[in-house]
Amino acid sequence: MIRLQGVRYTYPVSSAPALAGIDLDIAEGSFCAVIGPNGAGKSTLCYTIGGFVPHYFRGDLEGEIVVAGRNTIEHPLGELVKHCGLLFSNPLNQISGARFTVREEIGFGLENLGVPRVEMHARIERVLDLLGIDDLAERSPFGLSGGQQQRVALASILVMGPQVLLLDEPTAQLDPLGSREVFAAIRALSQTGMTVVLVEHKPELIAAFADRVIVIDAGRVVLDGVPQTILASSELQRIGVATARWTEAARLADAHGLWSRRDPLPVTLDQAAEGFRVAQNTPS
Amino acid sequence: MIPIAFRNVSYSYPGGVVALRDVSLAIAAGETVALIGQNGAGKTTLARHLNGLLQPASGTVTVGDWNTNSRTVAQLAGRVGYVFQHPDQQIFKRKVRDEVAFGPRNLGFSPARVAELVESSLSATELTAYADHHPHDLLPSQRKYVALASVLAMQTPVLVLDEPTAGQDARGVRLMERILGRLQAEGRTLVIISHDMDFSVDHCRRFVVLDEGHILLDGPPEQVFARPELLTKAAVEPPQLARLASRLDLPLVWDAQTFVEQLKAQR
Amino acid sequence: MMMLYQPRQSPLHRLHPLTKLVVSFGLIVLALGISIDWAPLLLFVVVLVPLSLLARVARPFLDTSLRLLLPFAISLFLIQSLFFPEGSTVLARFGPLTVKAEGVRFAFASTVRILMITGALLLTLLTTHPGVLMSALTQKGFPPQLAYVIVTTLQIVPQMRMRAATIVDAQRARGLETQGSLPRRVRALLPLIGPLVLGALVDVEERSLALEARGFSASTPKTSLFEIADPLAERVFRWSVLLLMIGLIMFRLGQALL
Repeated sequence: MIRLQGVRYTYPVSSAPALAGIDLDIAEGSFCAVIGPNGAGKSTLCYTIGGFVPHYFRGDLEGEIVVAGRNTIEHPLGELVKHCGLLFSNPLNQISGARFTVREEIGFGLENLGVPRVEMHARIERVLDLLGIDDLAERSPFGLSGGQQQRVALASILVMGPQVLLLDEPTAQLDPLGSREVFAAIRALSQTGMTVVLVEHKPELIAAFADRVIVIDAGRVVLDGVPQTILASSELQRIGVATARWTEAARLADAHGLWSRRDPLPVTLDQAAEGFRVAQNTPS
Repeated sequence: MIPIAFRNVSYSYPGGVVALRDVSLAIAAGETVALIGQNGAGKTTLARHLNGLLQPASGTVTVGDWNTNSRTVAQLAGRVGYVFQHPDQQIFKRKVRDEVAFGPRNLGFSPARVAELVESSLSATELTAYADHHPHDLLPSQRKYVALASVLAMQTPVLVLDEPTAGQDARGVRLMERILGRLQAEGRTLVIISHDMDFSVDHCRRFVVLDEGHILLDGPPEQVFARPELLTKAAVEPPQLARLASRLDLPLVWDAQTFVEQLKAQR
Repeated sequence: MMMLYQPRQSPLHRLHPLTKLVVSFGLIVLALGISIDWAPLLLFVVVLVPLSLLARVARPFLDTSLRLLLPFAISLFLIQSLFFPEGSTVLARFGPLTVKAEGVRFAFASTVRILMITGALLLTLLTTHPGVLMSALTQKGFPPQLAYVIVTTLQIVPQMRMRAATIVDAQRARGLETQGSLPRRVRALLPLIGPLVLGALVDVEERSLALEARGFSASTPKTSLFEIADPLAERVFRWSVLLLMIGLIMFRLGQALL
């Protein structure tokens, strides 16, 4: 669904490349988490997959990017956004300011795409239902909480019918309640077969939902694999990425010979609880 | 180094939203307190009373021997340093160095002392290499450190940090931890507003949980995080190891070392 | 209160957006064209205020007009009264500064003109649903970017005021003294214009990215969620007003040339 080959990119007023050689293949229906230290190029990667690089940001782009069967360099941005949606971290800046209610706000994208009016209503209803925000339909987007606004922003992108969803730290500005609401929504989407690329800092959220984790550092992919392996990797600390506390505890327990050799290091709470229960019951 | 106190503080925003209901809170000199709760619970509203940005509708707020209603915000800034959640709302100079100098200059330090404070703050926040850069050439997470440096340079006995680890990567969090450790060693009174429970439990021995404008819980972490029903009400999730410990029916712990020792002891 | 639009049942609300814009334009041309100083104020009181009552938006109309206008009015009055270059009728003296009658007059004339212009646009925005306005404009051939700017521009003002307050608070919290003499306050607040504008620009950039992600620059012709009625009577009325205005402008130009 997403293929990058030999991608190198430098922003217009920069001297150093933001992406220094990316080769990536993301299968349809995959839930792929992208992690890495700040400034590593995670957002730039999202912009590149979405076509904002190069169409919006200009700059120097090399290599090939094909998303949902379309070469992003050869198609205009207006065409690409129909197939690949992008959600940003600031909920407020994603509200157009040109529509009065949540329902109308969601419809904005459909108006831009020239969808016939009869079809619009049905599609809006579907997406309101999918994200559980039916009760917000007649409210002003400005009066909502951060978590609600992000779900409205998500709905506004989804209604356009993309096959790929890019999420650039969608919960960065939300409190834990808002984060949970948005994550539940993203998970529900992934389960409908949508290809999801999520940039995120919190390892525990990724461990629960992603089927693949890519670590970006200095514009390159440095680690790539399943959450079980990557999120438990001892490389993460050197790269500058956080590890879940239970993973660290298990690593320490393992160093003291207390963790069962058969079990890989836990990345989710359930795995940790299970593994430590075994450890508790194993005679010393 | 000075204590702070809220006595029966109530506050409503123009428009009628009641943000604080009869809140009383006493923080000793040199204490580090985590102020937690969901968005809208009143954490920022409470904190903004400390430097006089807000004045209570009823009740009093004292910073040391000063009542905040008898001082201007600029005067209180000499005692309470406030690092805002969004640094871009605060940064306005064209050079990092000048930004950091702004605070101490306003407080009337001599040029020599200002220069000294700027150097030491830049060094503490690892921004010395960026001293002559334009703040907007830095990453947003680095700009948070510029904001922090400019408050550190003011050498205030009290500091309020609003979401210090938001948007920071692992290295950024470790740097914040080092800075916090130093501030604590210097005996400064710290109020930390944070959603990051793991970070907070590493550094705060007292947690104040706000919910709908009043204090729901106030005490050491072992007390506060042992109240799951109240935490759920306040939409607060305990630190990771605490959640693990309760799943295993182990006493609450906060760090991996203690956790493993307890595990050993239990077998 | 981010959106100006006030949903109500009123004749003004039922009008086609373009009709309201054309009338606003007509009133603005009148206000700028008539050389009598107090004419715009008269238009405001005799035309706009009753219309706002008819549209049941009188309170937000007056409230917002004054809140939008006040900062302009104050600075205009100060600057023009004190520094107006022409004329010599001195009304008062404050040390080296003189207040000239011509300056005060100019300030008054400018202020009421601004009041009229913002009032007319404000009344339109208060009584017109933003989505309907934008769709109506795009349907009549306006470039969508322009339509978007028209719909969202005045909304920026309350946003900027909030942002300005936040920035000022952040600097007060670092010891900036904002009380005291006027020159001191101006000196304190002047450097904050930079981050205010920069912050607004960053927001504009982020919002423009988000708009792109919503297909704003897709090449397909846009459709609308709203059905917008445009009765013949209104179309005739609009064209009449336009022709009248153009006639007036040409008449005035003719007068000036002869």
